Amino acid sequence: MDAKKELSLSRIVEEIVFYQPIIEILEQDPGEMGHLQLPILKSLVKQHKKVVECVENDLPFMASQYTNPVEILSAMDIPWYFHLQSMFAGSGTGGSLHIFEDLEAMDKLPLPTDCCTFLRLGLYYQSAGLYPVPSAYLALTEPCDGVSGFHSVFMNHPDWKNVPTFAPDPPYHNNDRAIGYYADEMRRMVDFITGQTGKMLEMDRLKEVVDETNKCYALWMEYNEIRRSTPTPHSYIMPMSMFFQSNSAGAGEPEKTIWYQDMVADAEMRVRENQPEVPDQKIRLLWYDLQPFYFGEIAPWLEQEWGAVVAMDMVSYCPYDIIDTSTEDSIFRGLAKRAFQHGPMIHQARGLADNVVNDITRIIKDYNMDCIIFPGHMGHKDMAASTSLMREVCRELGVPFLHIGMDQADQRYTTIDEIKDRISQFFTAMGLG
Amino acid sequence: METRIQSKAFQKFAETAATITTPETDVWKESGGKIIGYFCAAMPVELITAAGFLPFRLRGTGSTNTDLADIHFSSLNCTFPRHAFNLALEGKFDFIDGVVFFNSCDHIRRVYDHWIRRMDTPFVKILSLPKKAEHPQVEWFTEELAILRDQMQEHFGVEITDAKLREAIKLHNESRKLLRELYDLRRADNPPITGSESLAVTVASTAMPPELYNSLLRELLSDLKQADGISDHKARLMVLGGECDNPDYIKVIEDQGGLVVADSLCFGSRLLWKDVDETIDDPLAALAQYSVADRPSCARMFTEYQNRAKYVKEMITDFNVDGAIFERLTFCEIWGFEQLNLTNDFKDWKVPLICMDREYILSGVGQLKTRVQAFLETMGG
Ligand code: SF4
Ligand code: SF4
Repeated sequence: MDAKKELSLSRIVEEIVFYQPIIEILEQDPGEMGHLQLPILKSLVKQHKKVVECVENDLPFMASQYTNPVEILSAMDIPWYFHLQSMFAGSGTGGSLHIFEDLEAMDKLPLPTDCCTFLRLGLYYQSAGLYPVPSAYLALTEPCDGVSGFHSVFMNHPDWKNVPTFAPDPPYHNNDRAIGYYADEMRRMVDFITGQTGKMLEMDRLKEVVDETNKCYALWMEYNEIRRSTPTPHSYIMPMSMFFQSNSAGAGEPEKTIWYQDMVADAEMRVRENQPEVPDQKIRLLWYDLQPFYFGEIAPWLEQEWGAVVAMDMVSYCPYDIIDTSTEDSIFRGLAKRAFQHGPMIHQARGLADNVVNDITRIIKDYNMDCIIFPGHMGHKDMAASTSLMREVCRELGVPFLHIGMDQADQRYTTIDEIKDRISQFFTAMGLG
Repeated sequence: METRIQSKAFQKFAETAATITTPETDVWKESGGKIIGYFCAAMPVELITAAGFLPFRLRGTGSTNTDLADIHFSSLNCTFPRHAFNLALEGKFDFIDGVVFFNSCDHIRRVYDHWIRRMDTPFVKILSLPKKAEHPQVEWFTEELAILRDQMQEHFGVEITDAKLREAIKLHNESRKLLRELYDLRRADNPPITGSESLAVTVASTAMPPELYNSLLRELLSDLKQADGISDHKARLMVLGGECDNPDYIKVIEDQGGLVVADSLCFGSRLLWKDVDETIDDPLAALAQYSVADRPSCARMFTEYQNRAKYVKEMITDFNVDGAIFERLTFCEIWGFEQLNLTNDFKDWKVPLICMDREYILSGVGQLKTRVQAFLETMGG
C-alpha cells in the first residue's frame, strides 16, 4: 500500500485501535450499560475494517452521507463511509484524539472562520489526505448552504476531481410532487451506483432491508415515547446512538434491530422499576441542536451538578415514517421522504421554519419540559434566523429558553466554563434545580 | 453619484440604484400598475413582465440599521437580508403587491418565514430552485414556474399567455444584449465607464420598467461611444462574489487606483451574460432552462463550480484583468466555501486574488482602502 493510501486510512485505523480494547473489556465485563454500548462500538469497528479492506485490496467502495438512503447501499452491498461521521459521532466519542491540532491546522485553510466548523474540519481532513479516496461519491445538498459549499470544494480537490459523483437535489417543498421528484432522484442515484460498481439493485433485497430498518425506526419511536417518563430512563449517550445505528453503514442488519429491542427493553425496565440511569432528576431539558464534541464534559456535569437530564434532543426527535414496502414505487417514495424530510438537521433545517415551531411546541407538551437549551451552533445560520420563533413558542407555553451561541466542534468559540456559567445562571434565574 | 459621464440616461440609472422607490415606480403605481418583488437573480422576471407587472428586485439600499429585523434574525445572519427585511418592517416595501422567494440561501429562506408572519403583502410565494443544473432539475423548475403562473393568474385575475411570455423574453433579452454592449466597452484599454458606474446601470435594470430601461440604455451607449476613455488607473480589476448592489463599494476600490473592468456578481455580469433561448417552444421551459442551467451560476449551484471557474477565467482573459477581488458578505456560507476553490484556482492561474469580507452597508472604509492599496502595490500598481 502506498504512503498516500496509508495516510488516508490513518485516522480510521487509529479508531479501530482505540475501540478494540474497549470492546474486549466490555465483552468480559459489560457492567450496567455495556451490553447496550458494545454493539455500537462493534458496528463502528466493523464499518471501519470494511473500508480498510477495500483500500488495501483496491476493492470498490463509496463515500456518502447519512441522508442518502442507507438502505439502498446496504441492499446493493456497497461498502461505504460517511466522511463526517467521526465529527458527528464526536459528541459520544469526544471527537478525534487530534481535535485540537486539527482545529489549528483547519484555521490555516483559506476559509472564512464563520463557516461551519464541522465542514471546515472535513475540508482540512481532505486537504491533509486523511480521507480514503473512494471509487465513487454520493454528495448531498441539504440541509444547509454550508453542506453544498463543502461538496463543491470536495469535488474540486485534485485527488477527488476524478471521483465520479452523484448529488441528489432535495426539493424545498414537502408535498407529493416533491416526494415524487426526490424518489426519481433516488432512482437516478441507483443507476449511478450501478454504472460505477456494476452492482444491480434487487427489489426483493431492498424490501428486505427496508422491512428491517422499518422495525428499527418503529422501535426508535417507541423508545422516544418512553423518554416521556419522569424520571427519564437513560443518560445522554444512549439516546444519541439511536441515530447512528440506523443511519450508518450496515443499516438493515438484523443485529441492529436486536439492539433497538434491547434499548427499549432496558428503558422500559428502568421506568417500571424506577431505576433511572441518572438518579435525582430535577430538571428536564430539551437540547435543541446537535450535541457538541465536548458534550462528554457538559452532559455529565448537567446531570451531577444540577440533576438536569436531556429528556429529548433535536437529533432524536425526527418523526420517521414507516415505509410501505408493498410496491417499488412506495419503497422509493418512502426512502425519498426519509432522506429529505426526516433525518436530524434535515428535518429541522431544510425547509420552512414550521417544523422547528411545531416540534418545539409538541416536545414541550409531550415531554413535560422544564426548559429549552438552544446551543445555537455557529454553522446553523437558518436556525439562528429561527431563534425568535423558538423564543416565541417558549414564551407562549411559559417555558424558559436559553440561547447560548457556541461552536459544536470547537470549544475555543465559547469555552466549556463559559457554557457552564451561562447554564448555571439560567437555571438559577429561572428558579430551576 | 459622483461621475464623469455626461449623460442624462446615466443620471437616471444612478438615481434608481441609489434609492428604493423612484419617480418611475411612483408613476407605475399611480397608474394602477402592480409591482412584484423578488430577492434572487435567478428569478425569471419575464413571468412578472408578462403579467403586465413591474419586477422589482428587493435591496436594502438606504437602510442605516437593522434594529427591527434583529428581533427576528441573529448576529450570525448575513446583513443583506437583515437590512432588506428591516426596510420591509419599516414599510419601505409597502408599494409592492407580491413577493416571490426562492430557497436561495439559509438567510433569505428565513426571510420568507418571517415575511409571511409579519408582513401583510397580499401575494407571497416561495419556489424551490434546484441546486444542480441537469435536465430533471430544469423540468422540476418548469413545473414550479407553471404553478406560479397559475397562482398569479388566479390571485391577480390576469392572463399570462405563452405569447405574452415570449414577448417578455424578447424584451428582457434586449436589455441583456444592450448590457453586453456596455460590457464590451469595458474591454477597451481605456473604457469610458468605471466599474462602479457600470454597477449602477445593472442595478437599475432590476428596478425600472424594461421598455424605459432599454431606451435609456440605448441613449447611454450612444453617449458613452463619444466619451473619453479612462486612462489614469494602475490596474484592471475584476470583482467576484454574490450580492453586491452598492456602486459606492466599487467606487472605494476604484478610488485607490484600480479600475474594475469586469465582474461576476449577482447584480452584475451574471444578469446579462446569456440570453433566454427564444427557440425553445414552451416559454416556461425556456425560462427554467435559463434560470437553472444556462445563466452563469451562483455558488449555490454547487455542482457547477467548474463552469463558474471557466466563466471567470475567460473573463479575466477577455477583459485583460490584472487581479481580482473576491467580496463576501460575512456569514454567507454559499460564497464562503467558494473562496477556497477560487483561492486554489487563482493560484494555479497565477492571477492575484484578494478575499474581503464585508457588511451589506458600506462600512470599514478605511480598512477597505488599506487592503486595496496593499493589493495594488503587490501587483506593482
Ligand atoms: S452542522 Fe449544521 S451547519 Fe454544519 S454542516 Fe451540519 S447542518 Fe450544516
Ligand atoms: S450574500 Fe449569501 S447569505 Fe447573503 S443573501 Fe446572498 S447568498 Fe444569502
